[in-house]
Amino acid sequence: MAYERKTGGGAPRRRFGRRKVCRFCADRGLKIDYKEINTLNIFVSERGKIVPRRISGNCSEHQRKVTEAIKRARNIALIPFSTAHSVD
Amino acid sequence: MRSYETMFIVHPDTGGDQFTAVLDKFKGILADQNATMLKVEEWGSRRLAYPIQKQGRGTFVIFFYEATAAAVSEYERRMRLDETIMRYQTVRYEPGSQVAPAAPAEAGEAAEVAEEEEAD
Repeated sequence: MAYERKTGGGAPRRRFGRRKVCRFCADRGLKIDYKEINTLNIFVSERGKIVPRRISGNCSEHQRKVTEAIKRARNIALIPFSTAHSVD
Repeated sequence: MRSYETMFIVHPDTGGDQFTAVLDKFKGILADQNATMLKVEEWGSRRLAYPIQKQGRGTFVIFFYEATAAAVSEYERRMRLDETIMRYQTVRYEPGSQVAPAAPAEAGEAAEVAEEEEAD
């Protein structure tokens, strides 16, 4: 009945380019804080979305902290929720 | 007693005298609750990322202070009642390198400990 599962079936996963390094691990001086908009803006797409870990290259711990900081910054209107708003 | 930071946005139409009056009022409220002010940061008028109460700009102020949980909730209640405060956000404040210069000396030591913890 049940087929035996092939181990690691399919073509081997190809990786292009080098593995990204979490920039908060690489640079200890870099702080994650909701007030540091310039740092947070690196991890926000043009539409205002939070950039996923597979693209940003952050480690899980720092990605969590970045997410938290971005959400705090959004609440206090430092970072937009989306680009839909037109101010002035 | 814990350290907190509260960032709040003052309505852009509050002029110079009125603005300082608002700040003094909230400093007074914190002092009444036996909170100790560590630092006050004024960012001045900034563009908001999205309109709040139909305003595109706002004046950002951050208070860093030590207070009890009850003091914080009373302080936030008073902010909600004040119409010149467009928005506020209170966060636990861990003295870090960014704020250390103007904070008292003991905050600097705490920052070093925090950095060591992060290094592990």
